[in-house]
Formats: sequence, structure tokens, C-alpha cells
Amino acid sequence: MSDNPNYTDAFRELQEIVSEIEQGEISVDQLSEKVQRASLLIGICKAKLTRTEEDVNKILKDLDGAPD
Amino acid sequence: MLEVSQSIQRTISDRYKSSFWVKAEMIKLNFYQHSGHCYPDLVEKQDSKVVAQLRANLWKDDYMRINADFEKVLKEPLKDGVKILILATIGFHPEHGLALRMIDIDPGFTLGDLEKEKQETIARLQRENILLANKQHKLPALPQRIAIISVESSKGYADFLKVLQAANRNWGYAFFHLLFPSLLQGDNAVPDIIRQLRRIRTVVHHFDAVAIVRGGGGDIGLSCYNNYDLAKEIALFPIPVISGIGHATNETVTELVAFENAITPTQLAGFLVQKFHNFSVPLKKAEEQVAALSLRMLNESKTKFTAEMKLLRSAVKSVIITHSNKTVLLARLVSQNARFIIQNEGRDLAGKAVDIRRHTANIWNSNKVRNAQLVATLRKEIAGQLREKSVRLAGIEQNLRNLSPENVLKRGYSITRSNGKLVHFSRDVKQGDVLMTILANGTVSSVVQSTSHEDNE
Repeated sequence: MSDNPNYTDAFRELQEIVSEIEQGEISVDQLSEKVQRASLLIGICKAKLTRTEEDVNKILKDLDGAPD
Repeated sequence: MLEVSQSIQRTISDRYKSSFWVKAEMIKLNFYQHSGHCYPDLVEKQDSKVVAQLRANLWKDDYMRINADFEKVLKEPLKDGVKILILATIGFHPEHGLALRMIDIDPGFTLGDLEKEKQETIARLQRENILLANKQHKLPALPQRIAIISVESSKGYADFLKVLQAANRNWGYAFFHLLFPSLLQGDNAVPDIIRQLRRIRTVVHHFDAVAIVRGGGGDIGLSCYNNYDLAKEIALFPIPVISGIGHATNETVTELVAFENAITPTQLAGFLVQKFHNFSVPLKKAEEQVAALSLRMLNESKTKFTAEMKLLRSAVKSVIITHSNKTVLLARLVSQNARFIIQNEGRDLAGKAVDIRRHTANIWNSNKVRNAQLVATLRKEIAGQLREKSVRLAGIEQNLRNLSPENVLKRGYSITRSNGKLVHFSRDVKQGDVLMTILANGTVSSVVQSTSHEDNE
């Protein structure tokens, strides 16, 4: 999966990790790596919840270019 | 003014003595729980336009009877937004103004104009197979970017934003919203809303959904939301259109075709916030699960490790004990054996010492005997030798005696000296020298007359 997944993908991957840990499918050796990945994904998801990158000025500019 | 009012009252009661049937649309029933009376708002419309409006009184007993009839026929209670045929009297009260008094309703009379228009619109949309078109869209898991069609100063808009702002404050949820102002009721609302929807279309990639938000106004003028053109525009809109038009009576076609409809703007915003919750709650749960499960896994490993360590320790301990016992035994054995060996060797040595002493004594004794024999032999030998030597000495003594000057002199030899020196050769003397000749029984002194030499010397 890409390093910059959208939140749906990120969440899906996160759930996969959770179920992997839950099912005991990973070893203690892999655990750290998985937890790191999980916290990265959680960070991505949280960022999506708490940030938007829309810019009013950009939209207004787009609107001006269009027939009213 | 009272006189004027009383005059109106008289005039009207004179003019309207009997009851009569009136066709009207009851916009709102206005039932008061406490008194049990209703004060319905009645209108008449032409081409969706309100052309007449009257207040009515429906007293408690009349209401209960009429409502029972209505429910029996229509399978639903008397409610807002129905077209009714009523039996009424008209009266004027100086304090309360003009009002129809509703005595009876013909429940057989079908639903009002609004409902008719609505049904027609629905039927047409259905025919064109677009009634549910907007509902086919997929709302993003996080509907963050909302184009709002509303009135900036309206209570509904304020309510809507309040919920989004609270969600941001309480949970950090980020919404982006942009207002596209529009009339929301009355005849001009339809083209105005359609115009804004078309504007949003041009920038639709910036948005996840369009929210039509209205609230705080009366219920009159909502017929616009049953308009076919508006409903079609919404149905065919490329992203979800959600509505919170804020009236609790009768669902309009707009609300019907909308992706999602909520009774109030507050509830509509709540719907969006709920989407965030739906994402955030499992996220939080996943976060907790990752932490809890990892911890559990680590703890399990730790427990397992500790158990293994314990096992190892006890195994090692038992091995050590076994070996140390063995070692002690072996040490004891070694020392016993050593002692035994030492004792044996000691005894052996003592025996050997005795042997050595005995042997030494033997050797000593045998040597003593041999020495004695040797001494005896030596003595004998020495005595022999001494005897032999003394015999030889006696011979030599005899020879020596024979060689002594007296014996030589006795045999006729003499010794000549000159000036004290022995004369060996004739040249040792010259004429005139006095010679002293020693003989066996005396000396003779003579003077040399001559000398001769034999050259063979």
C-alpha cells in the first residue's frame, strides 16, 4: 500500500493490522514495525478528521471563471 | 378602536348568519395540548401561490370528533398541509380578530393542492427514473467540504454551523463550508436555489456535499420544495444533496429526492458529525486495540519468557545440585582413595625402609668381611713385598759398600787432589803443582815433575 493512502485505505490497513495482532499472526519481532505503521496510519486518519485543505479563495476564483 | 371592532363584529355576524362549506388547505393545524383547541392556518393557492389566508378555530369537542372521522377515512390524523373541505361559520372578535369556526370537515375530500402537486412531481420523477438518482451517490466517509445553500442571517444556518463548530471544538473535526446564499421560501426560491446549485456544479470538485438549510421561518411558502424543476436539479446533482428545511409536517419532494433529509438544520449537521463519529470511533477503537493488543502480546511474551527462565533456573539448579552432590561424593571418594593409597604407600615405604636397612646391613657386613680379607691380603702382600725389598736392599747395600771409597782405596785405587780440587785429567795439573794423594790408610804429598796427555780424551 502506498505511503500516502487516503483515509479509507489507511483505515482499512489499520484494521488489517489490528486483526493481524488480534489473531496472533505476527511475531513479537514484527510487532514494533506493525505498531509503528499503525500509528502512522492513525496519524493519517486523525489528520483527515481534523484538517481540510480547501481554500475559499481558490473556489471563488474558480467560480469567477464560470458563468454565473 | 373598540367601537370600530364592535361595528365590524356586528356587520359580520349580520352578514354571515349561517354556516357554509369552504374549500381550503390547512397549512398548519396548531393544536394546543393544554386546552385541546386548535387554531388552524387556512390558505388557498393558485399555481402553487397562496392567494388567500384565514385563521380558524376548532374547539376541543369538534376537533376530537372531526379527527376521529378523519383518521377513520384517511388512516392518519388530521395534520398540517392537507387540503380540506370544512363546514364553518365566520365571526369577528374585537380581541382575536377574524376567524372561521370549523364545525365539520369532509374527510372524503382528498389531500390539498400541495399534496397533489407533490404527488404529481413524484410521479413524474419516477417516470423519468430519477427520483432516487441522488441517493445513488456515495457520500465520502468524511463529508468534510460542504456547500451550504441558505440565508446568512437565518436561524437554520446558524444552528447548522453551531453544530459543526461544536464538533470542531469538542472532537477537532474539521469542516470546510462555503455559503451560497439563496432565498429559501416563496415563489422566487425555486430559481434562486437552482441558480446556486448550478454555480456549485462548476466547482463541484471542491465539495463532498451540498446542504440546503432553512429554519426559523413559517411553514407557508414551502410549496417550492415540491417543485418539479428544483426536485429534478437536486436528483441529478453530481454529488449528494442533503436537506434540513426545518418543518416537521409533510416531507417535500426536495427532501424525498435528497441524498439525506433531516427535520432540522441541527439534525442535518448532526448527520454529518455522525459520519465523523462513525469514522473516528472505530479509529479510536483501533488505536486502543493496537495499544492493548500489543501490550497483551508483550505481556504474554514476558510471561512466557519468565516461565522459561524459571524453568531454566530450576533445571540449572537441579543439574548443579546433582553435580555438586556427585562432586562431593567424588571428592569424598578421591580423598578416601587418596588416604588409602597414601596409607598403602606409607606401609610400602616403611617395608622398603626396613628392607633397605636390612640390605644395607647385609651389604655392610659382607663388605666388612671382604675388607677384612682385603686387609689381611694387603698385609700379607705388603709383608712379602717388604721382605723382598729388604733382601734387595741388602744386595744393593753390599754393592754400595763395595763401591765406597775406602773399599776402592783398599783395592789400590787412590784419589788425587790439587789445591783441594779432584784431579781427573793430566791437564788439570802442571809442573810444580803439589799433589795430595789419598790412599787406603793415609796420604802422600808429591810435586809434579811432568805431565803427558793422551789426545783421545
